[in-house]
Amino acid sequence: MITFANTVKRYRNGFEALKGVSLSIEKGEIVAVTGHSGAGKSTLLRLAAGIELASQGSVMVNNQNVKQLKEEGIAVMRRNLGMVFQDHKLLFDRSVFENVALPLSIAAFSHAEIGRRVRAALDKVGLLSREKAAPITLSGGEQQRLCIARAIVNRPAILIADEPTGNLDQAYAETIIDLFKSFNQVGVTVLLATHDEAGIAKLSCRRISLAQGKSAP
Amino acid sequence: MRAWLTTHAHACERAVKRLISQPMVTFLSVFVIGMAITLPLGLYVIFANVSAAASRLDTEPNINVYLALNANEQETREVEKRLKAMSNVDRVTFISRDAALAEMKRVANLADLVSSLEANPLPHAFSIRPSVSDAATLESLRASIAQLPKVDNITMDFEWAQKLRRFGTFAERLVLLLGLLLATAVVFVTGNTIRLQILTQKDEIEVSQLIGATRRFIRRPFLYFGALQGLLAGLVAVFAVLLFVWWAGAEVHSLTTSYGTSFSLSAPAMGLSLAVVALSALLGWFGAFLSVWLYLRRVSSDNCS
Repeated sequence: MITFANTVKRYRNGFEALKGVSLSIEKGEIVAVTGHSGAGKSTLLRLAAGIELASQGSVMVNNQNVKQLKEEGIAVMRRNLGMVFQDHKLLFDRSVFENVALPLSIAAFSHAEIGRRVRAALDKVGLLSREKAAPITLSGGEQQRLCIARAIVNRPAILIADEPTGNLDQAYAETIIDLFKSFNQVGVTVLLATHDEAGIAKLSCRRISLAQGKSAP
Repeated sequence: MRAWLTTHAHACERAVKRLISQPMVTFLSVFVIGMAITLPLGLYVIFANVSAAASRLDTEPNINVYLALNANEQETREVEKRLKAMSNVDRVTFISRDAALAEMKRVANLADLVSSLEANPLPHAFSIRPSVSDAATLESLRASIAQLPKVDNITMDFEWAQKLRRFGTFAERLVLLLGLLLATAVVFVTGNTIRLQILTQKDEIEVSQLIGATRRFIRRPFLYFGALQGLLAGLVAVFAVLLFVWWAGAEVHSLTTSYGTSFSLSAPAMGLSLAVVALSALLGWFGAFLSVWLYLRRVSSDNCS
């Protein structure tokens, strides 16, 4: 479903975040990408989501070479991915409901369908009672769950999460990991970058280790 | 089709919400753009009225030839024959002294004064319509006519009308130039308003792009915003000009009536008003397009680095 073939990511200043990474993630799989800070985990995820493009080699998502897609094509591809960002990327001037509704507005769903799907997603992450709240009033764990609700509201086939349990205490982190596990159980392919060893153990999933931009044994 | 309509309805709804959410900013922007459109539209309406009045005037060259009072009928016929034989003369109309006197009584309301005269003081005259209009040829024609016997006086009173026509053409061009300059200003004012809107919604644009929004999706509400702002400004401009015509029209009419002529200011036609509103909306849309295009291009080049 996602394939990296000898992928290199080099920035304008010459820094190489990825140095020829090759890996493959199958449909329905749950994979944890681990490694120290600066190992290239976030870059790997950003390449998979088409936020950045590979300097060399290729990144295939759903049999499509991301680099060969036009801007419109990348936008359409992203609509089929659920993304949980390390810094949440929530809109603090919008309500919880409106934050989750954003991907559906982009995909041109009707008001009625948006309402139905947003409430279902919020219910899944346990935030249904907070739909009118402002995100700033939510705790860190709730904000992370809100971010997950936004990522799954489009019912994506692939879920990409960058440090979803970072900065959360153990109880919250476990809840988040359980959510990912439940999504994977209904067939969603999950790719997450994490430092959370307990979480990885709980997921009992395949691990890909990166070190200094390369796959580590 | 339904999805397309839904996205446009959402974008339009968001644009309206943005306009309403900042009433003071919206009012000021619409007012400034409206005034920028009012100026060329107002001038156009004034010059269109003046041009319409000028077009009713005879601006074709005309030469009036007055004979001496003692010219008899045979001498008059001889002059008419020679005038008709001249090159560059298209038409010669004879106006007898009796016809001239009758016309004077009718037009100038001088019936009592004219009746009190013992004899007709007016001479026989010819009204000549030349087939040419350039000044040098007309001057040479005038000189040739002056050579004829019994010709006492010649007048050519068309030059002021030609000057008025030239002034009208110049004024039209001035309005066009002013219109173009102010249309550019409208684009920049709208562009700047949209730029400020973009800055306040930078986070939303970034997040939207990350979760699958196309450039068109990002651009759409801003384009509606610019077009709506332009549309409102166009309505303000048309309303301001109508107000001016209503306010100044009565005064202009009574002023021109006191000079023995009738001239009324006409309001811009419905077609012109609609065209101005549509053009204003289009300029707003274009300003917004330019602003969002520049922003997205910059963001895109930043992301590619």
